[in-house]
Amino acid sequence: MGRPQKPSNASAMGTLDMLILARLAQGVMHGFGIADYLHQVSDTLHVDEGSLYPALHRLESQGLIESDWGVSENNRRARFYKLTPRGRKRIAVEVSNWRRLVEAVNQVVDPLVP
Amino acid sequence: MFRQLWIDLRVRLSALFGRRTLNARALEEMEFHLEMREKQLRERGIPPSEARSQARREFGNSLLLQEATLDSWKYSPLKNLLHDIGSDVRYAARWLVRAPVFTAAAIVTIALGVGVNAGLFTVLNGVLFRDLPAPDSRELVSIIQSVSGVEDHHAQDLFSLSEYVAYRDRTQTLSGVIAMAGARGGTTLGGETPQKVLGSLVSCNYFAVLQQPPVLGRGLEAQDCAPGADPVIVIGHHLWRTTFAGERGIVGRTVELSRQGFTIVGVAAEGTYSGRGPIRIGYFAPLSADGLVGGHRFENERTPWLDLIGRRQKNASLEQVRAELAVIAAQLDQKQPGRTTTLLIEQAKAVPRGRRAGATGAAAVLMTAFGFILLIACANVANLLLARGSARSQEIGIRCSLGASRARVIRQLLTESMLLSLAGGLLGSVVAVWSFQGLVPRIVPTLMPALVGDLSPDFSVLLFAVTLTVGTGLLFGLAPALHLSNPDLHGAIKQGAAGGSVSRAGGRLRGSLVGLQVALCMTLMIAAGLLSRGLYATYTADPGFAYRDVAYADLEELGSEGYEPAQAEALQRQLLENVAAIPGVVEVATVQREPLGDDIGGIRIRLHDQAENESHEAEMNVVSAGYFSLVEIPILRGRTFTQAEVADAQGETGSRPVIVSEATARNFWPGADPIGQALRQGENTLHVVGVAADVQVMTIGHVPPYYVYFPGQGGLLFFKSRTDLGATMSSVRAAVRALDPGLVVNVLPLESTLGYWRGLSRTVTGIGAGLGILALLLAAVGIYGVVSYSVRKRYREIGIRIALGAGTGNVLRTILRQTMLPVVIGAVIGAAAATAVSSILSSVLFGVSPADPIGLGGGALLALAVAIGAGVIAARPATQADPTTVLRSE
Repeated sequence: MGRPQKPSNASAMGTLDMLILARLAQGVMHGFGIADYLHQVSDTLHVDEGSLYPALHRLESQGLIESDWGVSENNRRARFYKLTPRGRKRIAVEVSNWRRLVEAVNQVVDPLVP
Repeated sequence: MFRQLWIDLRVRLSALFGRRTLNARALEEMEFHLEMREKQLRERGIPPSEARSQARREFGNSLLLQEATLDSWKYSPLKNLLHDIGSDVRYAARWLVRAPVFTAAAIVTIALGVGVNAGLFTVLNGVLFRDLPAPDSRELVSIIQSVSGVEDHHAQDLFSLSEYVAYRDRTQTLSGVIAMAGARGGTTLGGETPQKVLGSLVSCNYFAVLQQPPVLGRGLEAQDCAPGADPVIVIGHHLWRTTFAGERGIVGRTVELSRQGFTIVGVAAEGTYSGRGPIRIGYFAPLSADGLVGGHRFENERTPWLDLIGRRQKNASLEQVRAELAVIAAQLDQKQPGRTTTLLIEQAKAVPRGRRAGATGAAAVLMTAFGFILLIACANVANLLLARGSARSQEIGIRCSLGASRARVIRQLLTESMLLSLAGGLLGSVVAVWSFQGLVPRIVPTLMPALVGDLSPDFSVLLFAVTLTVGTGLLFGLAPALHLSNPDLHGAIKQGAAGGSVSRAGGRLRGSLVGLQVALCMTLMIAAGLLSRGLYATYTADPGFAYRDVAYADLEELGSEGYEPAQAEALQRQLLENVAAIPGVVEVATVQREPLGDDIGGIRIRLHDQAENESHEAEMNVVSAGYFSLVEIPILRGRTFTQAEVADAQGETGSRPVIVSEATARNFWPGADPIGQALRQGENTLHVVGVAADVQVMTIGHVPPYYVYFPGQGGLLFFKSRTDLGATMSSVRAAVRALDPGLVVNVLPLESTLGYWRGLSRTVTGIGAGLGILALLLAAVGIYGVVSYSVRKRYREIGIRIALGAGTGNVLRTILRQTMLPVVIGAVIGAAAATAVSSILSSVLFGVSPADPIGLGGGALLALAVAIGAGVIAARPATQADPTTVLRSE
């Protein structure tokens, strides 16, 4: 009844999750750092800053990333995230899936729109 | 790979137990985020108060987000599983409590099935499989050897004194090696009332290596084994408590054993290993005391007579011990050309290997028979579940329609059976372990008086009970769960609970379960029938010799009572004269072995023109001239021995007269006259002077194919009484006491040798019949349940049949034809199986053939009658179906 259901098919990963994993593929980072990075690289991808944290915790509960306390650049205690082996495999798969999707969609829309 | 496993484990644990930590962490992370953002905004020139609220605004509803963050962790698969199991268990428990009669019936049935098995295992474990009872028993190893290539090493698995010393002194991997042997026969403990006690002869490091220090005084020490040491003993705990009334001043006192004075230096702790398996012994004496209690084994250091047990050094593995001792064995082999020694080294058990082998076979048969009971019980519970299940098919149908997967439904149903099985298993094990502990010590002593086993449950009993319980739950739960979880959704929901037809597959499953029950029950009942016939045979069979007025005095152990050989011989001759002179005694004779006794001995004989390897194993006895007429064994041809032949028998080589049994004569010289024929025994020539009638000498009901009587003086003094046998036996005892007041001689009626076999048969038949009846009862309940269920299900149909004019007999026949088919099939299978395997019982059937028609038929018919009777009783209500009521209820 009130029991939470399993997250739907893991292969259809949300964009936010993919972006987080992609960022962490470059190295260890805390939550604010990830949010800031996403802001900097793109204004189009508007990320609700707060929704980043449920996403981070969910990815961790799936064993895709792990976290530990560390010290931030301004000497504050902060939670740092990094990819686990499973997360590293996963982001590779996700990115290639994403590229295939984009290419497929482009092949459809390119001839239609001059 | 392993890293990911570790991460997953951590994740799952924190999801389970770390809610508070996760909450604090989420708060701190958000706080950090807001601060960083605020700082960033301030650096861009936004005023502090504005920066703070903008950061908050951009972040969103922090309370909601915190909820969402914590919820992320709820997706842990482990947590889901635990949650599911928890709700399954709660649901199952509610459901079971709502059906108290069903639950109680199932639990009691399972308790019975698991209980008898757990109880049996407790006993077997306590007597057979247990480690040698000593501290750190895992370090103890038993050492057995097998020697080939030399003539004189006839007691193959035992060690000689010189071999023992070699192993003891050369080993580095063992911290100590002990040697032990039984003292010869029963030794007489002198005192006001002399009594026979069993003793062990042990090396003087015995108590130190076993780490079982005596409770009083000291153990044996090196100086006790030194040549010329004063004879000392450590007495057993039981003897101390009984004969010496637990007196603490016992240490230092001198007692007489076999007429020799021994100083008691200590009292062994309770439960100290006896040195000879799980039996109770009276004393431990140094090996060097062998001569004092009548043995001749210590004198020759090459006589093989010792069992060895070693204690491993803490850092030495069993493999290292094997390797090292093999090297020592090879060194010993080099001293004797041609000799090859193979060592068998394994962890020491309470029952020595040789004795374990025979018992293990019996244990396997017992475990199988007890296992049948469990299977029958399982089938009953499975049928109960099936019957209940069809009443629930609507519920299950709805669950499936709402999207429950088949696996999910199976899990739910299995949880229920597991819960039942755990409750039943727990109840059964506790009751059984407790009651067997009380019961077995009452049964076993009739067979083996000195046997002691530790029947307290240990870890392996717990493991066995738990495994059995879980296995039972799966066994009776799986088939119904698989069957019920595959419902006809449409029909189940539409029809509702009232109608519910008996599905074809369900009927087949129920039928097979009944068939299985009947087959198992049939097997047990046939075994019980055969065993009962065997028991009857032990009371009625004619063993071929007269035993009613015959008794014997056991003088065999005069030699171990501290008499010089010549003195013992004179004593025996004197006693023979005195007994013959007792008024009630009509005949006397001396014999080496009492028929049907436990002392057996074989020789190898062949025709004089046969090669040694063509020889036959023969049983033998040494008897005086009067033996045949005393026990009324007819001499069929030739003559009995002459007095001269009996007196002349001391030189045991060369040419000797013998009397052979009828079977022997028939086997060697079919159709020819055996008198005057010659046999060879090794280098000796045996001349047949007579043929005696066949006698059952080994076990009741069995005539040995080769049996040879030699003339000579045996150690048993047989006498036949004309008056009351008991009174005559008392007179014989008095005659013994008159000769020597310190001498204890067993005087027993010859019928007592039959008593052993009767006792054995009673016990075996008791177990067999008990199991058979239990199986029959369970199967009858099972059949009753299935038939009455099917009657209830078909009540409407029966009502219509009756309304249409079907008679009572017709209705009964219809029902029984369908429900009894599995019974008949099961009975046939069971009978076939029983006939096929009944030969394993032959050793306890005492001459009754495993194909004995009365035993087989009796057991089978009884089983069949009860099975059909249960069916008929269950089917009777069908004939009372009132058409109007039945049809109106629709």
